[in-house]
Amino acid sequence: MWRRIFVVFAKEVIDNSRDRRSLLVALIYPLLGPLLLGLMIAAVVDVVTIRTEARGTLPVLGAEWAPEFVAYLESRGITVTPVPEDAEAAVRDGELKTAVVIPEGFGELFRAGKTATIHVVSDSSNLPGLIALNRTATLLGEFNRKVWRQRIKALGVDVQILQPLAIKSIDVTKGSNIAQILLFMVPPLLIFNLFMGGVYLAIDTTSGERERGSLEPLLINPVERWGLMLGKYLAALLFTGIAVAVQLIAFKVIFQSAGGSGGFNFAEVFSALTLLGIFAVTLPLMMVAVGVQFIIATMTRSFKEAQTYLGLLPLVPALPGMVLVFAPVKAQEWMMMIPTFSQTLLLGQFVRGDGVAFPDALISMASSMIAALVLIFIAARLYERENLIFGE
Amino acid sequence: MIDVQGLRKTFKTVTALDGIEFEARDGEITGLIGPNGAGKTTALRILYTVMRPDSGIARIDGFDTVTQRQEVQRRIGVLPDTRGMYPRLTAREHVRYYGRLHGMGGKALENRVDELFAMLGVDDFADRRAKGFSKGQTRKVGIARALVHEPQNLLLDEPTNGLDVGSSRAVHQLIRDWRDQGRCVLFCSHIMQEVAAISDRIVVLSLGRVVAQGTVDELLRQTGETDLENMFLAVTQRTESW
Repeated sequence: MWRRIFVVFAKEVIDNSRDRRSLLVALIYPLLGPLLLGLMIAAVVDVVTIRTEARGTLPVLGAEWAPEFVAYLESRGITVTPVPEDAEAAVRDGELKTAVVIPEGFGELFRAGKTATIHVVSDSSNLPGLIALNRTATLLGEFNRKVWRQRIKALGVDVQILQPLAIKSIDVTKGSNIAQILLFMVPPLLIFNLFMGGVYLAIDTTSGERERGSLEPLLINPVERWGLMLGKYLAALLFTGIAVAVQLIAFKVIFQSAGGSGGFNFAEVFSALTLLGIFAVTLPLMMVAVGVQFIIATMTRSFKEAQTYLGLLPLVPALPGMVLVFAPVKAQEWMMMIPTFSQTLLLGQFVRGDGVAFPDALISMASSMIAALVLIFIAARLYERENLIFGE
Repeated sequence: MIDVQGLRKTFKTVTALDGIEFEARDGEITGLIGPNGAGKTTALRILYTVMRPDSGIARIDGFDTVTQRQEVQRRIGVLPDTRGMYPRLTAREHVRYYGRLHGMGGKALENRVDELFAMLGVDDFADRRAKGFSKGQTRKVGIARALVHEPQNLLLDEPTNGLDVGSSRAVHQLIRDWRDQGRCVLFCSHIMQEVAAISDRIVVLSLGRVVAQGTVDELLRQTGETDLENMFLAVTQRTESW
């Protein structure tokens, strides 16, 4: 029996490796996720670099009206750079990220100890603009407090009475970096791809085979129907495995080339051991994915119908992972019982280098394996039905 | 050797087979004929194991088509109703695939494929992919696929349907050769002339029942007709109508 199952497996692998669409889904589609993430990392690194570069300068218009402010900036090692006459246009056009505008009457009011107005021009519609605004506001705030303290002191009052709180924030993030948030996107991308990799083969070998009219003669051969189904199943599983492997390697290459930029060492994300771990943890889920694909493709009436359902399928298991990008949860044991969700959590731990608890991985793999066996059993039962050949 | 007893099969409200009985012997060509919807394809599908009868028994070489499915499958070669090809596999790969599913392999299988291709005239497109095959070419590969394991019983559903005269004759000759080797051939067709020309015995089906069976001469004698078509219309109780 196993020899004949292998005959079916080998035929489907050869047949589909000659199919442009099967190859596209298994070899090219998996590259899209890593490429997208690579572009996002590049963009974030770009912003971070701008911030460091711009740290030593501040564009100021009307600096001559506020020599005290300029002196303060110089004491902080910040050089004042010129601003065109129309500061708002310059910021709007992106020529400057931000600009400080000091009006003509500033000096008199300031020296008289009155409240003097100062303008900050900014564009909050993009990340670099926000970062620049934040930095300028911080500088102005510090100058404000410095002057305020001097004036209070001059009146002979203890400054501390007027300042009941001193607020300092302590950030516990390891890399303390936006770039790290991007790593949360790796699990949903992996899961989506996992449910996509063998889908074309699953359709082609079941509803496709029926539509071509090649299923009826095939079923007349002296092979148990579950054997035929299993041969096809294993072929689809192989293509899924290839798609996952291709994507993991692509992630590794992308992260490697991002290197240690942006204050986070991406190169360390995927060690060979982590890759193996991810593959082992996701293998039972691949079996679940192909099982679901086979059941749906066997029950649908046509190639097109199967394609419609199975095209949407990958979104469902990828969804929890997308939510976790914005609202992470702490992994608990019961969560490890849920196929797709447990893998999403475990993949997150792998990718962020949090360390994966062995019992957690074991529970996840075992529960998914059981789910996969149930699905395979159901698919095999569907193959026994008479209307397998003739549709519903 | 094919033996059918009391086969009954219903699809929802339609009775496709209403208790048919007949037999097809070794060394004979048995033609199954009947108007469209008479139940020919359903009868064959039960015989070649892809359908289960509601009641009745079908046996091939003594093996039950339901309870001894694999024994039956080893002993039959089939050109079924649907006979699609894999567009990305070559003619040779198609036949090789079926040979392997029958447990064949190695040199013996390759020799058998060569032999079949020479006999059927597949040689000039043996290593071309099936996408773009003509009807005749597809039929030849379908027949090669059915014969690769040298089955004792051959079941053919409308084997010449859609073929030109030359190809039809070649198929007829092949069927005769198979019979002359002492094997059993059962084929169905709705073309009276074809069935009469090559069958040793004829089974006439109408509305799921066997309405007549015997040699051509016996059928003509039974109905008192001299013309095959009139005999056919007489036993199926049909007139010229849609």
